[in-house]
Amino acid sequence: MRLDIAKRMLVAGSLLLLLIASVGGVGAQEPVTITWWTLASAESPEPAIRAVIEAFEAEHPDIKVDVTIMAESAYGDLMNTTIGAGEGAPDIAYFWETPWLPHTLDITAYLEADPDLSRDDYFEEYFNNWAVWDGKVVGLPFTVGANFVMYNKDVFDDAGVEYPTADWTPWDYIEIAKALTDPDKRRWGGDRPRGPFRAIWRNIGATKPYSDDSATVEGYINGPDSVAAYTWLWDLVDSGATPTPADIEVLGTEGTGPVDLFIAGRLGMATLNNGHMITAANAGVNFGVVPEPHVPENERFVHAWALRASIWAGTEHPDEAYEFLSFWAGPEGQRINMEIGALMPSLPAVLADYPDAESDYFQGFMGVLNATQTAEWRASHPCWRGAVIRAVRDAWDLIMLGEIGRDEVQATLDAMVEPAQAALEECVPRLGG
Amino acid sequence: MARPHQAQVPFMLAQWRQMSSQERRDAKTGYLALSPWMVGFIIFYAFPIVATLYFSFTQWTLVDQPIWIGLDNYVRMFTRDPLFVSSLKATTLFVALSLPLKLVLGLMLALLLNLKIPGMNFFRTVFFIPAVISGVAVSLMWIWFLQPDTGVVNTLLSYVGVKGPYWFWDLNWALPSVAIMSIWKVGGAAIIYLAGLQNIPAHLYEAAEIDGAGKQRRFWRITLPLLTPTLFFQLIIELIDAFKIFTEAFVITKGGPLKATYFFLYYFYEEAFRNFNMGYASALALFLLAVIMGCTVFVYRTSGRWVFYEN
Repeated sequence: MRLDIAKRMLVAGSLLLLLIASVGGVGAQEPVTITWWTLASAESPEPAIRAVIEAFEAEHPDIKVDVTIMAESAYGDLMNTTIGAGEGAPDIAYFWETPWLPHTLDITAYLEADPDLSRDDYFEEYFNNWAVWDGKVVGLPFTVGANFVMYNKDVFDDAGVEYPTADWTPWDYIEIAKALTDPDKRRWGGDRPRGPFRAIWRNIGATKPYSDDSATVEGYINGPDSVAAYTWLWDLVDSGATPTPADIEVLGTEGTGPVDLFIAGRLGMATLNNGHMITAANAGVNFGVVPEPHVPENERFVHAWALRASIWAGTEHPDEAYEFLSFWAGPEGQRINMEIGALMPSLPAVLADYPDAESDYFQGFMGVLNATQTAEWRASHPCWRGAVIRAVRDAWDLIMLGEIGRDEVQATLDAMVEPAQAALEECVPRLGG
Repeated sequence: MARPHQAQVPFMLAQWRQMSSQERRDAKTGYLALSPWMVGFIIFYAFPIVATLYFSFTQWTLVDQPIWIGLDNYVRMFTRDPLFVSSLKATTLFVALSLPLKLVLGLMLALLLNLKIPGMNFFRTVFFIPAVISGVAVSLMWIWFLQPDTGVVNTLLSYVGVKGPYWFWDLNWALPSVAIMSIWKVGGAAIIYLAGLQNIPAHLYEAAEIDGAGKQRRFWRITLPLLTPTLFFQLIIELIDAFKIFTEAFVITKGGPLKATYFFLYYFYEEAFRNFNMGYASALALFLLAVIMGCTVFVYRTSGRWVFYEN
């Protein structure tokens, strides 16, 4: 009997030791390493990137993040080649090109099961346009960007013109620009749009370059709304209240907007973005922000963007990759980038803590973040930019150069139908639509 | 044992067998020295060219599998692509405009730099510097030079009562502006001409001078004929360079206005990297390769009539 007890104790002890050893073995397993390719910028500088990793790894000791910070020029090439090869792509990255989207991991189920993060935490328009594709959640929107009109209050006061309000129309814009223009002071009233079918095109008449089913350009490129928008452009160019493309090329900044002219007080109004807004604020400019003008009876559109942070579909560690993605592009990661860099988070609750959030201009900026985005249509029509808009660029150039009369706008757009239709028909079978 | 008949083995193998052991060692060393270049050529040139040929028969978005479409890309190119015609026209005009300018001005500059005056090495260095500056930096600088209202060129023109054009932003002046810009790098060509000039034996000039030949006659009868090998080299290099015009359109004009500077390589770039149409872009690239090769072969074939060698 005593022997039996001893035997039983020996067996039990052995089992206990085995259990402890096996538990210890699990505990000693190597952490999973996920790869992350990213870019450093003023909004998300390298210290912020490192801080995100440090905070994440402290919270998840079983996951290591192997980051590569790349130059933007190399990023696209490497993404193309690795995605195309089907191997070597990072677990986590920005997936900003349309052809990359089918190669993202569908994270719909992950997000629905996530107790700490939901799509409702993000600005709705940004989530719908930058995280959802083909009915699936393919990433999370990282940061927010938008165009709006910045107006220099000192210039307005000097010219005795009232500040614009959110209910202004595109034709108000021209009249105000004319009133602000003063050749003696080498000052223009406002700038010109940087391409067709952006916010003002949509705001004038919901103008699109081609039909929703991507079948035809006839009646769209040359439809009444499009003619109205191009005629508005003609009037703006003809007003003499805007700098020419040559002026903008020399005096503007990086092609993204003439913020230098605006800061110098040589441009009363300019269609700029939130990066420019901070630049102007830091330069001490006394300015306000309003949405781009629109026709009151039409829906208001905004030209906006975000970075799509996604998981590569070929990842071997989808669970761990989602853990990191939801941290980096979730409240914690975006807050770290906001505090160390200058990121404007895509989560309203976090953006509300931005240092200048209470200022008038920032409130003006916040006002455009819920407007319908031009990206809504463009995201599902990948042929609009590379193919169709290129085919009708001559119409834009002719107006910009003052080569056609106001009554020739319709005929000019009619002449663009054939090349635009050919471009559409070539592109749709390739990129979809 | 009878040796195999010479014709029964490949020529190189036969040669190899006839070599002494020292010659074989030398040959091996030679091939070893060549091998890095050969490997580089195969990986970075030969393979991409063959791959481009294959992709030109496909529809390919770069990240998905290519789909074989036979000759469709070429049919589209030659029958229903107005941008192909526009870009070819703009490029041909640019070549026709910039090539003679660069050849003639390069030669003139070389003649000046060949003068024996104090400080000439300084001038040679100064004129050569633009040839090594990045194309993007040069483009940005020329935007400032040719800005219609505040640019240096129009400001100088205004001093003599001339209202300068809108240069890059003028339908008629955009292409000539880019051609004028290309002169900026003429110092690189001038240095090569200079080397050619300094290779002309001095005794020829001395003999001509004794015979009473003036400066002009010496230039036309001695300098120019004996410089034709250099001119031939420069013509081919500049011809290829002119067809590859891209940076100026990319940085300054974006192909405009009204496609006046919509050069072939810019079109290729847009198709490949903005429109993700790699198959068609490959066909465009091969077409450009064929055009450049055709022009080069033509120049080479006609060179017998106008290129003179001293011997």
